[in-house]
Amino acid sequence: MTDAATKFIETYERERNSLPAADLPWLDARRDEAMKSFAEAGLPHRRLEDWRYTDLRQLLSKASLAPAPAHEGVVLLPTTAFDAIDGHRLVFVNGRFRADLSNLGGLPSGVTLVPLAEALRAPWARPLLEAPQASGIVALNTAMMGDGLGLHVAAGVRLGKPLHILHFAADAGAFHVRNLIRLEEGAEATIFETHAGAAAASSFADHAADVSLAEGARLAIVKVQDEAPSAIHLATLTARLDARSHFAHFTMTLGAGLSRNQSFVTFAGEGAEAHVNGAVALRGKQHGDHFVVIDHAVPHCASATLFKTVLDDSSTGVFQGRVLVRPDAQKTDGRQMTNALLLSRDAAMNAKPELEIYADDVQCAHGSTIGELSREALFYLRSRGIDEETARQLLISAFLDAAFETVANEEAREALRGLAANWFRLGGGAA
Amino acid sequence: MLEIKNLHVAVDGKEILKGIDLHVGAGEVHAIMGPNGSGKSTLSYVLAGRDGYQVTEGSVTYKGRDLLAMSVDERASAGVFLAFQYPIEIPGVTTMTFLKTALNAQRKARGEAELDAPRFLKLVREKSKPLNISDEMLKRALNVGFSGGEKKRAEILQMALLEPFLAVLDETDSGLDIDALKVVAEGVNALRSPERAMIVITHYQRLLDYIVPDVVHVLSKGRIVRTGGKELAGELEKTGYAEFAA
Amino acid sequence: MTAVRETVDTVDQLAGEKYKYGFTTDIESERAPIGLSEDTIRFISAKKNEPQWMLDWRLQAYRRWLQMEEPKWAKVSYPPIDFQNAYYYSAPKQNAKLASLDEVDPKLLETYKKLGIPLVEQQLLAGVAVDAVFDSVSVVTTFKTKLAEVGVIFCPFSEAVREHPELVKKYLGSVVPESDNYYATLNSAVFSDGSFVYIPPGVRCPMELSTYFRINEKQTGQFERTLIVADKGSYVSYLEGCTAPQRDENQLHAAVVELVALDDAEIKYSTVQNWFPGDEDGKGGIYNFVTKRGDCRGPRSKISWTQVETGSAVTWKYPSCILRGDGSRGEFYSIAISNHFQQVDSGTKMIHLGRDTSSRIVSKGIAAGRSSNTYRGLVSVHKKAENVRNFTQCDSLLIGPRCSAHTVPYIEAKNPTAILEHEATTSKISEEQLFYCMQRGLPAEEAVALIVNGFCRDVLQQLPMEFAVEAQKLVSISLEGSVG
Repeated sequence: MTDAATKFIETYERERNSLPAADLPWLDARRDEAMKSFAEAGLPHRRLEDWRYTDLRQLLSKASLAPAPAHEGVVLLPTTAFDAIDGHRLVFVNGRFRADLSNLGGLPSGVTLVPLAEALRAPWARPLLEAPQASGIVALNTAMMGDGLGLHVAAGVRLGKPLHILHFAADAGAFHVRNLIRLEEGAEATIFETHAGAAAASSFADHAADVSLAEGARLAIVKVQDEAPSAIHLATLTARLDARSHFAHFTMTLGAGLSRNQSFVTFAGEGAEAHVNGAVALRGKQHGDHFVVIDHAVPHCASATLFKTVLDDSSTGVFQGRVLVRPDAQKTDGRQMTNALLLSRDAAMNAKPELEIYADDVQCAHGSTIGELSREALFYLRSRGIDEETARQLLISAFLDAAFETVANEEAREALRGLAANWFRLGGGAA
Repeated sequence: MLEIKNLHVAVDGKEILKGIDLHVGAGEVHAIMGPNGSGKSTLSYVLAGRDGYQVTEGSVTYKGRDLLAMSVDERASAGVFLAFQYPIEIPGVTTMTFLKTALNAQRKARGEAELDAPRFLKLVREKSKPLNISDEMLKRALNVGFSGGEKKRAEILQMALLEPFLAVLDETDSGLDIDALKVVAEGVNALRSPERAMIVITHYQRLLDYIVPDVVHVLSKGRIVRTGGKELAGELEKTGYAEFAA
Repeated sequence: MTAVRETVDTVDQLAGEKYKYGFTTDIESERAPIGLSEDTIRFISAKKNEPQWMLDWRLQAYRRWLQMEEPKWAKVSYPPIDFQNAYYYSAPKQNAKLASLDEVDPKLLETYKKLGIPLVEQQLLAGVAVDAVFDSVSVVTTFKTKLAEVGVIFCPFSEAVREHPELVKKYLGSVVPESDNYYATLNSAVFSDGSFVYIPPGVRCPMELSTYFRINEKQTGQFERTLIVADKGSYVSYLEGCTAPQRDENQLHAAVVELVALDDAEIKYSTVQNWFPGDEDGKGGIYNFVTKRGDCRGPRSKISWTQVETGSAVTWKYPSCILRGDGSRGEFYSIAISNHFQQVDSGTKMIHLGRDTSSRIVSKGIAAGRSSNTYRGLVSVHKKAENVRNFTQCDSLLIGPRCSAHTVPYIEAKNPTAILEHEATTSKISEEQLFYCMQRGLPAEEAVALIVNGFCRDVLQQLPMEFAVEAQKLVSISLEGSVG
């Protein structure tokens, strides 16, 4: 057992009675079972195929993993890229919901939006938590989840305005956030999620989200992760899609010294569609890993994944994807593409796009490219009088833009473009 | 040559052809015209033996044999040829290889000796020339990256090479400009002979200016609603299918 | 009845009679005692009259092997192999030394004749020099004299150990070290024979070199070892064919092939692997656990692997290139066909160490029946490797609803000047394509064969002419008994 894992186990033993909804016997049993499985497996390491490029066990060995303090005082929140877009607002500081900083007025009837402690008591939440998890590391979150949100949208109800969620790490330390989202038949919602932190905060943010979409439901999530370079970010999304539902997830990864984003999407009903896309821009010694598994368990579903990664300095990018087409999942359409640009001599990219196909009447394809900026294109732009730095930025923006194009919400798309432009500014053009 | 009696055909349980009677004698060219959705392509696929077309009633006799009892390749070897409206692409298989394989498969099925390479090559060149099909095109994978005109010319080349007794041309004019149309029509006309019958399926009269039919049928909602001489095509050009579509 | 169904029925009738190499040869043989121990290894070494250094190398490998575990990461499953219930050495009994082909057991020559190998020199119209390995030993090498004139050494491995120890010592294990992996290490301990090739500087080998491997004995593992060294500026094309009798037991084949290409040298290595794949119920067949690796040691050297894999019950094989020399090039062209219950996990590794190195991977996987067909490949660019280029194309074709096809590429770049491209598709033979071909008169199974050969064309074109024709037929035959 590594020290890091032991620390979590100790924290659990100490705090288990004060965790949200600790009085629910089923939940208590679920947490115990989860902690047991975490204790047995320990933190994932590179000898596990899914973690071969991100050795969490080793990387966490030096991290400060004591629980983050409850930061109850005044906190100076950063602006987010989505501030200009009108919506409902939820704020979490050090992983704890802050009602005083949030604004949940005017929710349409049929929409339930509550802190995790309350959500855990709702009948719709339990199946989400009891479903088997594709990734073992979620057990840590299941045992330790300290706060989060529960979102339930009743059948046919549309959440008109987007939900803004801001996660802010004000201090060093670990926190475990769990979001539970259930959209009933034909319900619709849009969520903009921002993860940020104080510059000095060596936080370990452990996020898990369970999404369940009933028939014909539609959910769009745009996530921006821009935590401090000293932060560690671990996020696992598990989504289950019923017939004809539509799920669009976009991740923009800019921050954290170490980040691992996992998405597991399972098709449970025919005619559903999933888009899991992302843009990644890293520099310094950042390490960003994106892991996407699309499970076509039933016929007639479509999935598309596109990840664009830009790596500067001595940063490392990882993309691992798997399109799994189970026996009888005929007429599956599964696409996966990953492109990476290496801007520096010391940057590195690892890609592993996988296809696992057990049905014949399917259309599946994946592609991967890794390279530097096209010298021909740079030359062409410069020959037209554009200076090198501007030319590079133009080309890199165009490269990332193909990913932004997959975001349906125009305002969000613009916000992401703004973030990309800002990323260049912060880099001081020293590519 | 071909005798269709009271042919009823359903696709996915929906009846498309509702009792077709058609007699095509050797040496005759029949045109089948009709609006979209009238069942023209269904008729061509049923004659060629494509899956998914259930004959619920009626019979088709070809040269005295029950055509419907024969498999797709048996029909082809017996001389039934379908020029596809949308010829399929077969990556990696050159047109030349395909032609040779098809020709020799048919010769074999008929108990004839296979053609050796030099004789085959000579034959293909001879048949390709009038259709403006270059050696370069023959080296390309079948229909892959072919233009609309190239695809149709390749179909006619196959017909010329395989020398069928009954050729069914399904919308061979679709997607062709006037020059391409002329080349294709000349190719078809060159194959007209007293022992060969043709069924030309088309939406427009235009093609029939170049391939002049002996008989014209109008197909509407799964039935032949009118039969006449070649002048019927001209008449339709003026009036359209409105009176049949209603 | 759908066209595909029809194909299945037609070809099912042909199943079972399609493995034409399934005969056995009734020939007296000499075997090592059953099981594996240091004594077995001493026995093999003694049989080969090996020098002490060779025996020491084997024993070192064996001791290492005892500490190792069987790899579990491949997408294949098979019952545990009982390494003690197999023979590690079996040789046709014959006079100790052969002066000419006339002294080879006529039954053996008959076997090779059935396999279509032109052993007798007069019959070698194609100009192919053949080394034939029967169970554990190399039986005969043809055309030796003619090759010797230009300085090419082409002989059984055991002979090379005795007669060219300086070359063997220098290169053996230099590409695949004796501790490389479980099966390679086992091979290092018990390998019984194989081929050795050395092409001197500047020599273009005047003919294709070829080895035919044959497992004949029951319960016998085959562990051949091939070492090819192409010295500066030389060229060689090497072909390898494999067959085995039809038996209802599983037999292990764990070969090691090492290629070394020095400055400006080129090695082209082609394999048609048609070990017995097991019957249509998945009974019997060869476990083909092979380590093949080439080292482009010198600048501008080139190694090209072409493989047509149709046989074996389980295949675990990744012919790889270490692109060490600046400007060197590695190629991997593969057709892997699996049928019935066959399992294939195959691919390549392109390790780019030198600058201006390039590689190309074209993999065509065809799965039918209930088989599983996996492409697993690594393209790795090291930090100092400037201007690396790789292009990878992996296509899978599925025939029938119960087979599976997987693509598992690993792409690792640590240098920004690299341009790496990877594409993969999965498809099936469409009803439309089948219908079109059949409308032109092709019977169903011929139509399938035609379309599959078209699918494989990029790879078939890489094979030497004589092999290409054979491979094309093999592609058709393998699928004839299979669809569904």
